[in-house]
Amino acid sequence: MEEEMTNRRVSNRTRKVATKMAAALTSNDNRTQAAIARLEALENDNGAIEVVDVNDDEEASLDEDDDLGYVQKKQHKGSKRKTRQAKALEARRAPKSFLELLQEANLESLPAHVPTYLKAAVGPPSSSSRRHFCSVCGYIAGYNCCLCGMRFCSIRCQNIHKDTRCQKFVA
Amino acid sequence: MSNIVVLDNGGGLIKAGQGGERDPTTVIPNCLYKPLSSKKFLHTSPLTTLSDEIDLTSASVRRPIDRGYLINSDLERDIWSHLFTSLLHISPSSSSLLLTEPPLSIPSVQRSTDELVFEDFGFSSLYVAHPQSLVHLYEASRQPDSVLSKTQCSLVVDCGFSFTHAVPVLHNFTLNHAIKRIDLGGKAFTNYFKELVSYRSINVMDETFLVDDAKEKLCFVSLDLLRDLRLARSGNNLIKSTYVLPDGVTHTKGYVKDPQAAKRFLSLSDKDHVESDFMAKVGDRKKADMNKNEIDLTNERFLVPETLFQPADIGINQAGLAECIVRAVSSCHSYLQPVLYQSIILAGGSTLFPQLKERLEVELRPLVPEHFDVKITTLEDPILGVWRGGSLLASSPDFESMCVTKADYEELGSARCRRRFFH
Repeated sequence: MEEEMTNRRVSNRTRKVATKMAAALTSNDNRTQAAIARLEALENDNGAIEVVDVNDDEEASLDEDDDLGYVQKKQHKGSKRKTRQAKALEARRAPKSFLELLQEANLESLPAHVPTYLKAAVGPPSSSSRRHFCSVCGYIAGYNCCLCGMRFCSIRCQNIHKDTRCQKFVA
Repeated sequence: MSNIVVLDNGGGLIKAGQGGERDPTTVIPNCLYKPLSSKKFLHTSPLTTLSDEIDLTSASVRRPIDRGYLINSDLERDIWSHLFTSLLHISPSSSSLLLTEPPLSIPSVQRSTDELVFEDFGFSSLYVAHPQSLVHLYEASRQPDSVLSKTQCSLVVDCGFSFTHAVPVLHNFTLNHAIKRIDLGGKAFTNYFKELVSYRSINVMDETFLVDDAKEKLCFVSLDLLRDLRLARSGNNLIKSTYVLPDGVTHTKGYVKDPQAAKRFLSLSDKDHVESDFMAKVGDRKKADMNKNEIDLTNERFLVPETLFQPADIGINQAGLAECIVRAVSSCHSYLQPVLYQSIILAGGSTLFPQLKERLEVELRPLVPEHFDVKITTLEDPILGVWRGGSLLASSPDFESMCVTKADYEELGSARCRRRFFH
């Protein structure tokens, strides 16, 4: 038992990252960044907006309640001037995302016969060929935009893509 | 004998009620939402009483469950206390709790769940079950003569809100080493649907509840993708459908413009051949949308559930549902494999897409050796199926002895108690 403990304490720095992911993270390539941004957007709860904290709500109401007078503004301002320490405390109290918890759990150090969350992931598909769909109309796409890599099926769709949304995901 | 509260804690919906009953008392979304009319996050009301006055446009949402596991216990405590006091009217200290948790959870999540149950609410005892074993229990009790109840073994495909698992269940225990998971669920489908619609017509990236509603009413699984894509391109009325967004004045909920027309895709059969009609109506689609709050949907209707069968379509490097099932079964002992293929059960809200079962049969059959039979059953109610299994388990006579009591938890701690459940 104690050996496991000491093994677990050994540096948390060496993390195995999938090779494709590592290459993608370090690349400045627009296309891989756009692809990653798209996949992460699939896990959002709220769409484009970030989740609003309760404290932020007070600041939002500051702008909207202008006509309610000078007094209210002063009230808000006086009560919540956060120090750096308070901010750090709050950041620690905020719940960690599941991915952070997963990293901390250090599941790779468990013996091989123990089933874990990571081992349960169904692996890559057996055929690596994938179908591409036109980003404008949804039909099967044969071509892609040379600037941003989005797919399109025909010249009409390419024109619509060029006019409106080339490089939309990477600002 | 204390009363038992059965709580199916899902990523999307919480199903809660008394053990022993046929249906849960309440089904509420597992989140706090903030509509435009309010500045604070509010509790949701049960699905059956969702009245027309609540305006769900651009409501933002906070969920305690991230990727299927409970990480934000403060938020969950808030939702549960509202649930227990106002909707269920029970007092935790005199009740036992039967809770569901997805398989292969990590110890820190399990610990925070136990703390929430015992220390914050003070339940007298707790039993944690995997939803898939509850599904097996329920289905076995409904069909006492079938293969799955005689062998006590089945493969449960649980397509929920956060992810999809293929789980072999034997004697009411999940075989953890053979579980396979695809990271696609109702949430990913809704987000993909939002992305498609925002790209092609109106920006709906903030409208989680509305797009969810449209997805549930309009999306279906196509049996022949290329044929349906060609049909959609030619502007054929069998697939095209319109969803009207609420405008706050005449109606506050979105609705499908013509529900009868939306079902016409069911009349498509294998023998229909479609002439490809190039370039026909690609331009026309754009003009109709800007006038009113309507979205025209053609190929999005079936492209969204298609990702479950081929996640590579959106770039997720994971195998599709049919392969996931094959891999899960192949990781089991060879004596179990024929039995598992014969008793596949589909559970979870995301299996409610029409034609999903037929498509899965078509995809799965070539991957399975031909001397094995493939038989897929769908639950009579995929959303409530887990809860009903829990209710059955709660009403069994030796349930009390299986639970972990509060005294045990305080003496032994979370990790030792969890071992009693063989998770």
